[in-house]
Amino acid sequence: MTATSRTGPTSSASTTAPRLEARHLTVRFGGLIALRDVCLQVPAHSITGLLGPNGAGKSTLFAVVSGLLRPTAGSVLMDGRDVTRTSPQKRAGLGLARTFQHPELFSSLTVREHVELAHRIRHAKRRLWSDLITGRGFLPQPAEEKSRVDELVGALGLTSVQHRSVTGLPLGTARLLEVARALAVDPGVLLLDEPSSGLDPRETEELAGTLRRVVSDHGVSLLMVEHDVELVLGMSDFVHVLDFGVKIAEGTPAQIRADPAVRAAYLGEEIAPTDFRRPVTEQGEPA
Amino acid sequence: MLSYVLAGLALGAVYAVAAGSLVITYVASGVFNLAFAAMAFTVARFYYFLNTEQGWAIPPAAVVSLMIFAPVFGALLYAVLFRHLRLRSTLVKLMATVGLSVALPPLVQLVLGHLTNVTAPALAPRPLAVFHPFGAVLNADQLATYIGLAVVLVVGVGVLRFTEVGLRVRALVDSEALTSLSGTNPGRVSLGVWAVSGTLAGLAGILVAPTSGLSAEGMTYMMSAAFAAVIAARLRSLAVAVVVALTMGVVTDVVQKYLDPSSSFTAAVIPSVPFAFMLVFLLYYAVRGEAGDAVAGGALDRAISPQGGDPSLMRTAAVPQGRISSSSIGTLAVVVVIAVVPAGLDRYWAGLVAAGIAAAIALLSYTLVTGEGAMVWLSQITFAGVGAVVAAELVDRWSWPPLLAVFLGSVLVVPVGVLLGLLTIRLGDLYVALVTLTFGSLVQTLVLTQDPFYDFGSGQPMERPSFAQDNQVFAYLALAVFLLVGLVILNVRRSTAGLAVAAVRWSENGAKTLGISVIQTKVLLSALATYIAALGGGFLAMNFRYTLPDSFHPSLGLVWLAVLVTMGSRSIVAALIAGVVLYVMPGIFASYLPDKFADVPTILFGLGAIGLATHPEGVVAQTGANLARLFTRRPGWAGTAATTLTAPPDPAEAAPHDRSARGEVQQLPTGGQP
Repeated sequence: MTATSRTGPTSSASTTAPRLEARHLTVRFGGLIALRDVCLQVPAHSITGLLGPNGAGKSTLFAVVSGLLRPTAGSVLMDGRDVTRTSPQKRAGLGLARTFQHPELFSSLTVREHVELAHRIRHAKRRLWSDLITGRGFLPQPAEEKSRVDELVGALGLTSVQHRSVTGLPLGTARLLEVARALAVDPGVLLLDEPSSGLDPRETEELAGTLRRVVSDHGVSLLMVEHDVELVLGMSDFVHVLDFGVKIAEGTPAQIRADPAVRAAYLGEEIAPTDFRRPVTEQGEPA
Repeated sequence: MLSYVLAGLALGAVYAVAAGSLVITYVASGVFNLAFAAMAFTVARFYYFLNTEQGWAIPPAAVVSLMIFAPVFGALLYAVLFRHLRLRSTLVKLMATVGLSVALPPLVQLVLGHLTNVTAPALAPRPLAVFHPFGAVLNADQLATYIGLAVVLVVGVGVLRFTEVGLRVRALVDSEALTSLSGTNPGRVSLGVWAVSGTLAGLAGILVAPTSGLSAEGMTYMMSAAFAAVIAARLRSLAVAVVVALTMGVVTDVVQKYLDPSSSFTAAVIPSVPFAFMLVFLLYYAVRGEAGDAVAGGALDRAISPQGGDPSLMRTAAVPQGRISSSSIGTLAVVVVIAVVPAGLDRYWAGLVAAGIAAAIALLSYTLVTGEGAMVWLSQITFAGVGAVVAAELVDRWSWPPLLAVFLGSVLVVPVGVLLGLLTIRLGDLYVALVTLTFGSLVQTLVLTQDPFYDFGSGQPMERPSFAQDNQVFAYLALAVFLLVGLVILNVRRSTAGLAVAAVRWSENGAKTLGISVIQTKVLLSALATYIAALGGGFLAMNFRYTLPDSFHPSLGLVWLAVLVTMGSRSIVAALIAGVVLYVMPGIFASYLPDKFADVPTILFGLGAIGLATHPEGVVAQTGANLARLFTRRPGWAGTAATTLTAPPDPAEAAPHDRSARGEVQQLPTGGQP
């Protein structure tokens, strides 16, 4: 690991507990080590990027952090609390939300119903039981819920398809819906797994703007895996890089751009080659 | 003691052949073959036809049955049915095999004739030779069973380990996708596996027939007992399946040494042994968190496997809400017709319609648990039977009014469903099906066919409400209750719980990370379904004025499920039609056609369930869609899921960058977890 030795995570992390922290995570599948001693922090009110080539262990790390996979060793903390053995739904209750590399949508629900369900799970979970007795499903939607759902559906550009079933939605729209659904639970930490995949440049830019607003206005912390490296480096406050299950670098986007290990192992010539050909200052900033 | 062990090994050997066959076909083809018992019955019945009815000697009859008929039969089933199921969801796969298990036995009986009180031959010549190794008793049938298992193991292991064919089968087990990429045709390998499966099913059927009887029910009991070994093997390990099956057989016989053969306790313990084994392994795996519906194969296979639900079912799942649709009008029309019909019928036919409506109440439990939850519970008919018994007890012993007994008595059955759900749901859909079928067989054997509940088959008397003594009035009472339960299900669908159920059905990982408990949601659904099944059972008992325990046999439960999915597993009105068809169609055949055609309705029901593989929406929804197309072309009116899902949104409403409006719609892969 190279960039680590130069600077650590954002300075605020040293004074307050990070919203999300992975400590020395190791995951083995039989003889295969998918993650080896990986540490990572997601500070409050920040965007953290996670880079790595295919097979680097990014999705495994997301699965462990969100509780869908139990690590062989190491621990996961939310706001300083150890949640390693906590179920995914309890972590969701603690404010963790995520999207998936392959969208995990509910095929028989409409776009709007996805967001409504997420909102209710967070704000009116009792309705899971009480609706059965009160018959509230037949009544009009509460104004507060309607307003919030309208806001999210509109913010993600889903208004035109809000009453459609998700079956047959384009991949990009499905990803936007996953983001809307995740935001509907008002998360403290949001894990985004390749959110821009399938989006055109304009949609990507709009999504980036929405995510920035979520962080700045609502104090959400983002951890983002993304193949659009420029998007990650352009949005993130701090970036971690995995390769073959091992963290090979961490640092600011500028440091990551300049890191020879990252360039050799992952970035190569694929990302904005001209950026790498520019000289880099001692501080890691492009000249 | 040795005699008990030897007898137990023979029983265990039959279980081992059955369990081994189930495991091999599952890992090699991805289909858990619930029609194994029906296949076993078919081959055993063919062997009986050759040996007993045609007078063939045992060797040629066995060779023709097991070496020619059985493999051809297995290969034919693969070619016609199973090869289409590989990439289908667990639900569709199971339902297709349920349909086969329903259709096959009556089809065989239609061709080869009915048998009553059959003493079936095994593979040993009669009179049966008896040997005395080390002073113990061993008969020739038991010896033939050992030899049968030994041949299967030696040949099976030899072929799998040391031949090119075995290598290809093992490669297919590891990854069908990679095997096909390496030049092997997985279809041919699967064809061979199903041919072998036919032979193994036939062998198990022939071997078990002398003790369990040459009947579909006897074979079903054998299969459900073998499920314990299959679960112990976690659906994959052939060696574990064989060892556990043999142990189970030995334990079953050895405990008899220490029990009074005439006591009712003994009668209860013996059939409970396989279920006890199953329970132990279920708890073991649940505690270790090791079970689950594992997708056969490697990473590539997992990537292409359907998650949550079958893609073909998505069309049926999305039902637009909040507007009058063709399906609503169709529902109303069916209810009106069924409401009018009893008024014009005589006592007999009105009674059949009333029985059908009562059964429809119970069928609504499948609408919830299978249609909404995509779980295959095979014990709903057992819950109905227990509901009937509880209600009858409350009326008979405590003098409760019948309606109160039925409505409140059903609450007492709910904990059973909840407990079963808690035990199985976390392990996966396949385990739910296996355990519930075994549980149903156990309750049938331990409770429903024991006195005082059995009483020579008539069961306990059950009164009707005083105002509904007449069949027509009772039919209207049942219809009112059906509509009430239908409203409850509609309420569930539109509630937050209904949204959560849909979420859990289509993506468990998506639901979990949203904060929804998969177990709680499914158990909630199971509890409601258990109550509704018990309620339906109570109404059936009221209709017949007796509990009639034999009418709640688990094998009949497969017929119930087959009829329901044929009509449509998510439609409330389909349950009503299915219930009425279930009772009225056999009545029509019995009244107007020769006796030999009495089983034709059951065959049709089974074939209908098999058809789920190609028409997952069911007859009712399909007919509704066709009618809607006939009467209107207007896109807003059609109201069927198929049309609304394929219709793109109004381009005028779509945002400029909305690709769906530009027609760039692509099939979205749902599920699929890293």
